[in-house]
Amino acid sequence: MENTMTTQANRDSSASAGQRHKIASMKAEQRFTNTMLYILLSAMAVVWLMPFVIIVLTSVRSMGDLISNGVFAWPREIVLSNFERAWNIGNFSTYFRNSLLLIIFKVPLGIIIASLAAFPLAKMQFRFNNAIFIFFLIGLAIPIHVTLTPLLVMMKQLGIQGTLAALIPPYVVFGLPFQIFVMRGFFRTVPSELLEAARIDGATEWGNFWRILMPLSAPALATLFIIDALATWNELLIALVLISSNDWRTVPVGLLQFQGQFSSQYTQLMAGVLISITPIITLYVFLQRYMVAGLTAGALKE
Amino acid sequence: MSTITDELLPNRPMRRRKRIRLTPYLFLAPALIWYLIFLVYPMYQSLVISFMRWDGLSADIQFIGVENYRRIFFEDDTARLALRNNVLWTLGTLLIPTTIGLMLAVALDRKLRGRTVLRAIFYGPAVLPLVAVGMIWAWMYNPQFGFINYVLKSIGLGFLARGWLSVYETALPATFLTAVWGGVGFPMVLYLAALQAIPQEQYEAAKMDGANSRQLFWNITLPWLREANVIVFSLAVINSFKTFDLIYTMTYGGPGRSTQVLGTWMYFHAFQYYNAGYGAAIAWVIAAITLVMAIPYIQRMSRD
Amino acid sequence: MFDRKNLMKLLALTMLVSLLASACVATPPQAAAPAGEQPAAAQPAAGGEQITLRWANIIDATGQEQWKAVVDAFQAKYPNIRVVSESTAGSGAAIYPDVLKTSIASGSPPDLFFMWGGSIAQPFIDAGQVMDLGPYYDKFGWHGKFAPWVVERIKSDGKLYGVPYHALGMGFWYNKTLWNEKGWSVPTTFAEQEELCAKMKEAGMYCVSIGGKFGWHTMRVLDYFLEHHCGPELHDKLNRLEERWDHPCVIDSYATFQKWIDNGWVVPDFLTVSPDDSRFPFFAGEAGLVLEGVWYEGVLKNNEQNIADYDFYLPPTDHTPLRFSAFPEQWMIPSGAAHPDEAALFIDFITSPEVQTQFPINDFANSATIGVNPDCNEWPLTCKWREIILSAEDTYPPTDQAFVKELMDGFFEVQDAIVAKRMTPEEGAALMQRRVEEWQAR
Repeated sequence: MENTMTTQANRDSSASAGQRHKIASMKAEQRFTNTMLYILLSAMAVVWLMPFVIIVLTSVRSMGDLISNGVFAWPREIVLSNFERAWNIGNFSTYFRNSLLLIIFKVPLGIIIASLAAFPLAKMQFRFNNAIFIFFLIGLAIPIHVTLTPLLVMMKQLGIQGTLAALIPPYVVFGLPFQIFVMRGFFRTVPSELLEAARIDGATEWGNFWRILMPLSAPALATLFIIDALATWNELLIALVLISSNDWRTVPVGLLQFQGQFSSQYTQLMAGVLISITPIITLYVFLQRYMVAGLTAGALKE
Repeated sequence: MSTITDELLPNRPMRRRKRIRLTPYLFLAPALIWYLIFLVYPMYQSLVISFMRWDGLSADIQFIGVENYRRIFFEDDTARLALRNNVLWTLGTLLIPTTIGLMLAVALDRKLRGRTVLRAIFYGPAVLPLVAVGMIWAWMYNPQFGFINYVLKSIGLGFLARGWLSVYETALPATFLTAVWGGVGFPMVLYLAALQAIPQEQYEAAKMDGANSRQLFWNITLPWLREANVIVFSLAVINSFKTFDLIYTMTYGGPGRSTQVLGTWMYFHAFQYYNAGYGAAIAWVIAAITLVMAIPYIQRMSRD
Repeated sequence: MFDRKNLMKLLALTMLVSLLASACVATPPQAAAPAGEQPAAAQPAAGGEQITLRWANIIDATGQEQWKAVVDAFQAKYPNIRVVSESTAGSGAAIYPDVLKTSIASGSPPDLFFMWGGSIAQPFIDAGQVMDLGPYYDKFGWHGKFAPWVVERIKSDGKLYGVPYHALGMGFWYNKTLWNEKGWSVPTTFAEQEELCAKMKEAGMYCVSIGGKFGWHTMRVLDYFLEHHCGPELHDKLNRLEERWDHPCVIDSYATFQKWIDNGWVVPDFLTVSPDDSRFPFFAGEAGLVLEGVWYEGVLKNNEQNIADYDFYLPPTDHTPLRFSAFPEQWMIPSGAAHPDEAALFIDFITSPEVQTQFPINDFANSATIGVNPDCNEWPLTCKWREIILSAEDTYPPTDQAFVKELMDGFFEVQDAIVAKRMTPEEGAALMQRRVEEWQAR
């Protein structure tokens, strides 16, 4: 990364006066474009945030207030007890632990396995390359619902049915086709010359994978990590079917409890939703750092 | 390429060639093993079930050949309607969230202040659990107190206000609008990741040569996004045909059956109507349609 | 040779990590593994063996909290049995049957589970997946313990596969205070009911609020019209598919529904509004009625409404006896249950009048057990309902507990088309009859 910066700095300072003028006019143009962009993006952002505003408003009011004044009215009175009730009766500490454990074990495991598989698919020529790739794509196209019963039987045979461990194999496997697909795509954009050069220098494929491909794919990896972590955090159907005991339920399954057969506790539910998305938003903000521009540019230039 | 390397380097021992041929499989092994056990095997089972008549509960399973498939294509009006809805949904997804996602990615790849926050906002819907999404958008569209009708009325477009999700004609488009809200983030982050991989000096060099920003986009950005395009477009097709969650939570296939898609229709059969065989058959129809469309596209685009 | 060695290492590492992951999460402090697969001893209470009883239900978070005391009391009495609640709540409990079905189909059923009555339970019975509980009725003396119509309703081919849990009836709920202000009184004939709706319309209100999303909320109103137009005998025949669905009285019922909608008596555009959200217009005073069940007093409480403001009445049908929509809920034991004896013991415990009186939780307020009476000061309306329900001469089932789900969805499809006026009543009835015939042909 340092490399990039220095090269760019050098180039800037060596630019001629004419070019500087050009750059200046381009900068003015850019400023105008940026202002327009801001206006447009802010307007969109407001629309996109609307549901979040409703969640917050609903979570800080009483049920009676919500019912008689409507969902979109300003709360009469700010009530924070929903959070306490949601946390306590919702058993969130357990759900948090379970969902976090899942993310910690599942997400890196899945992405590493997928990346390993994507490497030969993207950068090696061998007989069944194409066939294997298509074979993985089939997994992308099949709706998961029809595999639930066989999966449950399998987990029972493995003796992990009903526990959190039962979720790891299906979660990893349902992520695999997509992740292989994405990583293969990104690996393909890495110039093969880099690998060739390293091979001539005596690097092994194993070394190439870890020292060239993986670092170069950092933005893609961070992106996949975010996508996968969010998907895992919010996955409902598999968790619902494979986990029966309340002790091993995950966050989205836990949220269902605020909806009864005959009525829903909207205010507590929304408090629960807010509680449940806090860790994942934190994770997202943290991971965003790794998606910054220029992380890869330096290495590619050499 | 590995084999070529070998041939170019005659001084290496011959047995190395054999080892190199094994290398791809070693890298593939963990994924393949995992995939075979936990996905291919259940998939195979569902394929077998799709040729059976089975209630999904009892021991009474009957082989009926392709009868389930025949019914889907020749007798089931709802399946046809669902297929039509899926096609519309797919076209919409290819066009709208994908384009918006790309535009957002290009915009937020610029050095804008607050772009981190904006990126988070547009990918924000992904953090929301489905139960919240369904509930809130039902409120937004509510015929009595819904926010959308409220906005329409307050900007003088009150004549447009209606029960968006309850009217046969608007239920699917309204649901799709929610899908756009929830769906721009995904192509956006994929495009953003792809944009990061573009070497900056290509832009610098082109700028020095006097290229304007439109030329930069068409001549540098887009070609570099080819792999990302393949991923985004083929996933748009595949996921549109599999679409289930949003329809299930927002309209439950209604009003009537107007918003049924193959995904929900499969679910209703497999889980609610006790037609496990028929549901599995619909699932394989979904898979077959998407693969027939996606694989040739991916293959063609993958040629260097 | 570096490549392969390292790859092997990685393979090993992957296996190790996944194993570790499994081990870490599989051996929790609470050890979730079932205690044993062998059938329970004849005398479950006396057996020293520790048993985990898996109890599938749809109890929501608030309910779970209340049930804890009951479960604790049971575990204190039978220390060798640990009851693990496996609850799947969710709006309308729409996904519970799916989850339950998957667990049974994959051979890991719970030891006992919650079920509605009629056609919703029937597939489990037909598939031979639930036990005939006759022997337990004899053993525990359950005969005569429950409201007779409930027992009749859950019988299938003369056999009892379930134990009654709830006896639930439905009627029109209204805001008494509001009605007094407006000078409205409870109608006693169908004509008066319609007059009342017209008055509400004049007062700028809707008559009834419906949430049509899952179909069954709309169905309740249609069921009421069917009972009025067809009369008890014919209505029952229709439900048993012994009478044609293009019968004139069905057409009349559809026509009445369209009339109510045309007259602006129903809160408009309700077809995909969730039943949960249909209470907004009711509580806001924009709609005069909701067609809800005995549970609604609990809903009123949860929504911080003043109970004294509300009351209910049985919708007038112009027929005697005045029948209303009612349905049972029950406990069932899967044939593949690991501990059926303990499950029966648990059912006996939670349905006993003593236990239900000792723990007056919300879920026991609508009990099917005779001799359990809710606190009439705290639950005045539930108390009023109980008398009606336990003494009911006859009731009719909601259609969704009379039809299998696939046929039911055909019914809902027609119903929606009628509401949206995409079909005339005649067309609707004809399509309904065709759906019935298609179903019967299979």
